[in-house]
Amino acid sequence: MGWFRGRVLALEGLEMEVHKGEVFGLLGPNGSGKSTAMKMILGLLRPTSGSAEVCGFRAGTIAARRQIGFLPENPYFPIFLSGAELVRYYGRLSGLGGAGLEKRVKELLELVRLGGEAGKRPLRTYSKGMLQRAGLAGALVGDPEILMLDEPTAGVDPAGSREIRDLILELKARGKTVIFSSHLLEQVEDVADRVIILHRGKKLREGRLEDLLTRKNEWEVKVQGLPEGDRQELLAWMKKKGGQVVREGAPRERLEDYFLRSLPEETRR
Amino acid sequence: MIGCLRRISAVAGNTFLEAVRQKVFAVLLVFALVLIGGANYFTEFSFQEQFKFLKDLGYAAISLTGLLVGLLGAAQLIPGEIERRTILTALCRPLRRWEFVVGKYFGLTTYLALMVVIMALAVWGVLGWKEGQFLRAEGLDSETAATIRAEAMDPRLLQAVLLVGAKLAVVAALAVFFSTIATSTTFVMAMTLLVYLIGHLQSVAREQWLETGEVTRWTVRIFLAGVALLVPDFNLYNLIDEIVAGNVVVWRTTLEVLGYSGVYIGVLLAAAACMFEGRDI
Amino acid sequence: MKPIAAVAGALVLLLAWGGAKIPWEKAMARDQRKATYGFSGPTTVAIREKVGQGLALAALGGFRGLAANALMLQAHGAWEEQQWVRVRSALELATMLQPRVAVFWDTASWHLAWNAAVAAEKYSGESSETKRKIEARRWVEAGRDLLERGTKAVPEKALLFQRLGDLYWQRLGDYQEAARCYREALSKGDAPPYLERFVGYALEKAGDKQGALEYFKDLRREMGDAPSQVRRPEVVEREITRLEKETAEKRVRKIK
Repeated sequence: MGWFRGRVLALEGLEMEVHKGEVFGLLGPNGSGKSTAMKMILGLLRPTSGSAEVCGFRAGTIAARRQIGFLPENPYFPIFLSGAELVRYYGRLSGLGGAGLEKRVKELLELVRLGGEAGKRPLRTYSKGMLQRAGLAGALVGDPEILMLDEPTAGVDPAGSREIRDLILELKARGKTVIFSSHLLEQVEDVADRVIILHRGKKLREGRLEDLLTRKNEWEVKVQGLPEGDRQELLAWMKKKGGQVVREGAPRERLEDYFLRSLPEETRR
Repeated sequence: MIGCLRRISAVAGNTFLEAVRQKVFAVLLVFALVLIGGANYFTEFSFQEQFKFLKDLGYAAISLTGLLVGLLGAAQLIPGEIERRTILTALCRPLRRWEFVVGKYFGLTTYLALMVVIMALAVWGVLGWKEGQFLRAEGLDSETAATIRAEAMDPRLLQAVLLVGAKLAVVAALAVFFSTIATSTTFVMAMTLLVYLIGHLQSVAREQWLETGEVTRWTVRIFLAGVALLVPDFNLYNLIDEIVAGNVVVWRTTLEVLGYSGVYIGVLLAAAACMFEGRDI
Repeated sequence: MKPIAAVAGALVLLLAWGGAKIPWEKAMARDQRKATYGFSGPTTVAIREKVGQGLALAALGGFRGLAANALMLQAHGAWEEQQWVRVRSALELATMLQPRVAVFWDTASWHLAWNAAVAAEKYSGESSETKRKIEARRWVEAGRDLLERGTKAVPEKALLFQRLGDLYWQRLGDYQEAARCYREALSKGDAPPYLERFVGYALEKAGDKQGALEYFKDLRREMGDAPSQVRRPEVVEREITRLEKETAEKRVRKIK
């Protein structure tokens, strides 16, 4: 930032492609260059060399920015606004107005479950999760093709995170493309189709989660209702056929699912 | 076109609301109190002198308060937004950078204009009150009464308010320009204040530079040239003193200074937009 | 846009406008100087030498009026303490800072030619009466010189010419000069109506009864058939009658 600070090499030789309608994850530890990559796609930063294109438009141009809705990490919003006013403000910043904008504001607030009274309260009364959802509505107001989210669940509790993830999946179902960065890997696993892994500005891996994570030479089966005696028979049979049993026993539920199941219905929202 | 206006007015409106939330009313109140208190202080003097003191105090207070609000406000505009990271959510929109700069400026100047109007009304209010006091004291004898009324409700005071406002608008544009090149709010305020002070000497620098006689060292000549070319001539606004002195200032002169201010603001905003385009966020 | 292009663009804009604005600024400054008869006040450089830093900064910041008002307050304070030298220096600085404020010159001359002079004559510690009178005279002349400068700084208003006339009449006993000053004041258009008659009175006090009579006659003629009551035509007529009688008597006495 600024004119006279020293230059740091934030990204080197990054080649990246995101397909329409997919959920794409940018992974990496802090300082790996995820935010830098996003800012370059948005045109907030200029690359020293190379180029980027968004839906066929050069990154940073007005046409390109119209295609993207962005929610930055830990965003500060003008807190004296209400949720609805925030979305309206961002709508007007995108050049919208009048009755069309009002309709859109209402729709989006419903989508992110901030409709009605919740949308009228000032932002400073919102929880972190609600702020993120309001920001999401604001990012969507211009009806962009692509949604870019920088650490969307940072600082949000598990219930709120689950809501945001549900929203991402809903947007995917509506045909949107979602690019998001996170260092909370379990959350990425739930939603992403493809990921890229960055480290210190360089790309380490890229590919479909399925391809990356599947251990191809292993086979997992979950079975219910098999009596204890038959289990031992099955294990012996597999060994006879040349298979090596890597792990057997009752599967463990993820803590997050257990936690959410334990909460009463109302508090999950 | 409509979209452009919507975007600019969205930025302006938001900036205006943020400015209103600053502790402004306290400042205004302090100002009004100073004014009214000051009005009572000079009772040993003739009514012409008292009116002059009052008007001078009023316009100085408007200028000073406007200057402070303009400096603080403008310094917040861009460096402040960058610090708070609210600028990211704005600039990732299909919003041109120059629209952002222009919207910010108009938000700030609308707020400044509102402050100036309120303070000007306060000055007029106190002038009217003083007028009432004098008329009661001196009696309604026609000559003195006419002079008292003329001094108090001088229509030329409108020209003075416009000139004060224009001067503040130029200072605000300077601050916006500096805020596009700096990251520190202190730097922005310091530079703007410096240019404001130097602006009152610009006419001297201009004359010294253009008349080759006195100055021969080329380093000094370059410095003078720099000041003459890059700094506004704030002495042009000294018409305010003439108006307060009760002398005739024709509208043509005032309008010319207002026109100069307008063009200057346009140039500064264009330069600011230019600088902002090249800036990494 | 690359940063270097952005900086270059901005610089080009500012310098181009800089070159264009200079002739405009010069023209406006010239017009303003003309409108203020060349008296828009000295540049801050000249002020700095004479005035304290605080006041110089105020003048620099465009708050010249406040600085001048502060000096007038200083003068007032010094007057209350009968410190005439301080009164004078504060007044001279105030009028130097804001030469276009007529009321400053007015107050200044009043302090010098009336207050200071009377104090010198009656209340100074000096025992010799002659010396006191000389001192007083010096103050009156200082007041007169100040006022003369004032009439050059604010030549479009009647006020200072009127005060000068008063000074010549009341403090210097020079009624011819008083009449001249009053006439000058009347030519400005904003003089009080009674000043018209004072020209005549001054001429009479100067010993020129004939001149006074001619003047009053011209004045009555100029008023026309339906003069405004503010101009007190009946008083003028009364003066004409009185002066005619007195000049007639004088001629009779001469003949005798």
